[in-house]
Amino acid sequence: MEYLYSLPFLVLEVPHLRIKKPSWLQQPSAMVMYSLVLFSYFLVTGGIIYDVIIEPPSVGSTTDEHGHSRPVAFMPYRVNGQYIMEGLASAFLFSLGGLGFVVLDQTHGATTPKLNRILLIAVGFLFILVSFFTCWIFMRMKLPGYLRT
Amino acid sequence: MKTTVSNPSGWKSLITFTVLLLAWLSGFSSRLFAVIRFESIIHEFDPWFNYRATAYMVQHGFYQFLNWFDERAWYPLGRIVGGTVYPGLMITSGGIHYVLHALNIPVHIRDICVFLAPVFSGLTAISTYLLTKELWSAGAGLFAACFIAIVPGYISRSVAGSYDNEGIAIFALQYTYYLWVKSVKTGSIFWSCLTALSYFYMVSAWGGYVFIINLIPLHVFVLLLMGRYSNRLFTSYTTFYILGLLFSMQIPFVGFQPIRTSEHMAASGVFALVLVVAVLKYMQSVLSKAEFKYFFTFAAVAAAAFVFLTVVILTYLGFIAPWSGRFYSLWDTGYAKIHIPIIASVSEHQPTTWFSFFFDLHILVTTFPVGLWYCIKDINDERVFVVLYAISAVYFAGVMVRLMLTLTPVVCMLAGVAFSRLFELFLKEEDGPAAAAAANAGDSDSDTEASGDHKSRNMYDKAGKLRKMKHEQQRDNEGLGMNIRTIVIVAVMMMLMMFAVHCTWVTSNSYSSPSIVLASYGQDGSRQILDDFREAYHWLSHNTDSDARVMSWWDYGYQIAGMANRTTLVDNNTWNNSHIALVGKAMSSKEEDAYKIMVSLDVDYVLVIFGGVIGYSGDDINKFLWMVRIAEGEHPKDIHESDYFSERGEFRVDAEGSQTLLNCLMYKLCYYRFGELKLDYRSPAGFDRVRNVIIGNKNFDLKYLEEAYTTEHWLVRIYRVKKESEFNRPRIPVADRSVRIADLTSKKARQRKKGSIKSKPTVVKGRKPAAKL
Repeated sequence: MEYLYSLPFLVLEVPHLRIKKPSWLQQPSAMVMYSLVLFSYFLVTGGIIYDVIIEPPSVGSTTDEHGHSRPVAFMPYRVNGQYIMEGLASAFLFSLGGLGFVVLDQTHGATTPKLNRILLIAVGFLFILVSFFTCWIFMRMKLPGYLRT
Repeated sequence: MKTTVSNPSGWKSLITFTVLLLAWLSGFSSRLFAVIRFESIIHEFDPWFNYRATAYMVQHGFYQFLNWFDERAWYPLGRIVGGTVYPGLMITSGGIHYVLHALNIPVHIRDICVFLAPVFSGLTAISTYLLTKELWSAGAGLFAACFIAIVPGYISRSVAGSYDNEGIAIFALQYTYYLWVKSVKTGSIFWSCLTALSYFYMVSAWGGYVFIINLIPLHVFVLLLMGRYSNRLFTSYTTFYILGLLFSMQIPFVGFQPIRTSEHMAASGVFALVLVVAVLKYMQSVLSKAEFKYFFTFAAVAAAAFVFLTVVILTYLGFIAPWSGRFYSLWDTGYAKIHIPIIASVSEHQPTTWFSFFFDLHILVTTFPVGLWYCIKDINDERVFVVLYAISAVYFAGVMVRLMLTLTPVVCMLAGVAFSRLFELFLKEEDGPAAAAAANAGDSDSDTEASGDHKSRNMYDKAGKLRKMKHEQQRDNEGLGMNIRTIVIVAVMMMLMMFAVHCTWVTSNSYSSPSIVLASYGQDGSRQILDDFREAYHWLSHNTDSDARVMSWWDYGYQIAGMANRTTLVDNNTWNNSHIALVGKAMSSKEEDAYKIMVSLDVDYVLVIFGGVIGYSGDDINKFLWMVRIAEGEHPKDIHESDYFSERGEFRVDAEGSQTLLNCLMYKLCYYRFGELKLDYRSPAGFDRVRNVIIGNKNFDLKYLEEAYTTEHWLVRIYRVKKESEFNRPRIPVADRSVRIADLTSKKARQRKKGSIKSKPTVVKGRKPAAKL
C-alpha cells in the first residue's frame, strides 16, 4: 500500500505547498444556522416567492366615494393574492410568535434572577399573545366572515 | 399524573392508545362535513378519474386494468391508462373492496373511495406519532398526531370524497420517513428493507415520491459533510437505495426514470459518494493518521466533483433526461409563467401567500420555528433529517400552494416538539419524583444521544449554552410562582382550543365543498343546492349518442368521462400540450375558424361553464386568458394574447372590451341569449354577476352551433355543433314550408330535386323524413 501510494513521487518532486483551510470556513454554530433558517422562514411565509413571480404592488389603493384614492393594506376576499407589505407584516408576526415561545423556554436558565425571569416570561408571553391576536385581526380583514356562521 | 399507580408503563401505553384512537376518530369525523351536508359523492376533478379507474379495475381485474386503453379520453389519440397512472390508490381501495367482499360485507366501491382518505388520515396520525417519537419523545409524538389529525393543510386534500393520490401518499411519506429514521438509528438491514418497501408503496401512490428520493440522499450527504458518517448510515442507505431503485422501477408509469432522469440523479450520486467514503474509512485503518487527513479531504472533494461531472456529461450527451418542466419550475420560479402556461394555469400551482400559511396551519405556523430551534439546539443524526425536511418543505410550500401538503406533516411534528417542551417546562412540578418521571419519559432519546452525540455537543453547542442545559437538569426549587405557571398554561390551552375551532371552521367552510354540487345561502340563512353539473352530465348521458365527442376545457374532462360517460378531447391528465392548445385555439378564435378546428376534431358537442347568472367565479370566462395563453404557446401566428385586452390593457367583457374577445367562440357560447335575460328587477338585462358588468356584445346569433341544453342556473351550457349540411341551407320559416309542399310540381322543386342523392333523406325540422322521399 505504502509503495503504491508513493509511486508517483519517484518521478515527481513534491512542491513545498502550504494549503491551509481558510479560517472562515468552519462549521457554522447552531445559532447562526438557526437565524439563517428563521430568516428564510420569515421570507417564505411572507410570500416572497409570490411577490417575485406575480409582482403585486407594495400597497394597494381604492377610490372612496369622494373620489380620493386611499391606500389599502390588505387585499380583501382574495385568498391567493396579497400585497407585499401585508405579507411581510404577517410574516413578522409569525416570527414574533415563534420568538415568544423561544423566550418562554429561555426563562428556565437557573442563573437568571427571579425578576428577570418574570420579565422574560412577560415579554415572551406578550409576543405570543400579540402575534396571535394580530394574526386574528388580519384574518378578519382578509376574510370578513372568518369564524362566523 | 402521580406515580402512585402500580404500573406507570401500563398507564402510559393506555394513554398513548387512547389519544391516538381519539385523534383518529376526530380526524375521521371532521372530514365528514361534505358527506353529511351533501351526500356520499366523489369530489372535484381528478378523483373522478381515480374513481372511474378503480371501478374499472374492480370490474375487470388488475391485469385488464394494467392493459386498459381508454379510447374515450383524448379523442382521437386515446390514453394508455395502465401505463400512465400511479396505481397505488386503485389497488388500495380495490384491495379493501376485495377483503370486505370476501368477508361478505357488500360495500359499493364508491363508498370505499369516498371514505378512503379520512380513514388513511388516522394512519397518517399514527405514523406521525411514530416519527416524532423517534425524533423527540412520546409526548411530542402525541401532540403531533393530534395536530395532523385536524390541521386544515392536510384536511384540504383528504376530506371524504376527495379520492386522490395525496390522501394515501402522505401516510406513505410519513411512514417511509419513520422507517428511514429508524433504520439510520439502528443500522439494521431489516428496517432499511422495510423503508424500501414503504417507499415502493409511495412510488406506486404519488408522483411526490421524488421528494423522498431527494430528501433521503440529502440527509445522507449532509451527515457526511458534518462528519457524522457511520456504518449504520452506510448499511441503511445502500440497502435502501438499491432496493428502492429496483422496487420503484416496477411501477409501469415510473419505468426507467429512476436511472434516466435528473430528478433521481442526486440519489445515485450520493450512493457513489457513500461508497467512496466507506472505502476511505477503510483506508484510514491502513494509512497513518497524518497522511490520511489530507488524503481524505482531497479524495472526498474529488469524488464529489467526479460524480457531479459524470451526471452533467451524461445529461449533456442525452443519456439522462434533463429536469422536467414541473420540477424545473420549483427552482426557477419564473420558468413556468413564461414557458409552460399549462402548469402555471392551475390555481394550485400558484405561489403561496402569507394567508395560506396562516389559514392552513394557524398557531402551528409560529411554533414551527420553535420546534426547529430545539432540534437544531440538540442536534443528532435523525434531527438533521427533520431539519432538512423542514427547510426544503418550507421552500417548496412557498413556491406552490399545492405543496403546502408536504409542509404540513413536518410543521405538525415540530409544533408537537415545541408544545411538549413548553408543557414540560411549565406543567411539571419541580420536585424529585417528577424529575424522575421526566427521565423515564425521555429515556428513549437520551440513550441515543449518549451514543451519537458526544462529538456533536462539543462541536455544536457553545460553552455557555451547555452550562445552561446542565443547570436546567440540576435545577431545584428556585421555581416560578404557581400563578405564573397556571396563567401561561391556561393561555396556551386556550390557544390550542382556538386552533381546534379554527380547524373545524376552515374544514367546514372552505374544504368541504364537493365542487360538483354547489351550495348557496340565502338572506335568511337557508341553503339552496345547485346541482347543475350533474344535471348537465346526466343530460349528456341520456340524450346524446354513446360515441358523441364532447369538447370542453380540460378541467371538466374527467367529470364528463366519469359522469356522462362520453368521449372527451382533453382532460385533467394534461400530457399533450398541443392537443390542449388546439382546444384553446378553438375556444379563442372566431366562430367560423373555430368551426374548422371542431370539424377536424370530430366534435359533436361543446360544453362551457358559465357562472354569470349565479355568480360562480370559477367559470370559463375567468379561465379564458389561460386558454389564450396556452393556445398562443402553440400557435403564435394565429392567437395573440394582447388582442384580448382592451386598449387600456384590461381584460373585460363589457362594451369597452376588445372586439376579438367579444366575438370569440367562448364569449359567444357563454353569453348566447344572455343579453335578453334580466336577473332581477333592479339590474339591467345582460348583467354578469361575476364580473359585475353589463356584457358588451348582446345581440348575436350562432351560425355553426346551436344551443342544445342549458341547466337551471345556466351554470353549464351545452351546444351542438351543426353538420355542414345544416347551416349552408337557408332557414325556412314554417309558414313557407307548407307553400313549398303545395308547389311540389313546380319548376323550382324539380330543379332542386335534380341535385339530391336518391336514397339520402334530407332532414327538415318538423317534417317526417319519409314525406320528403
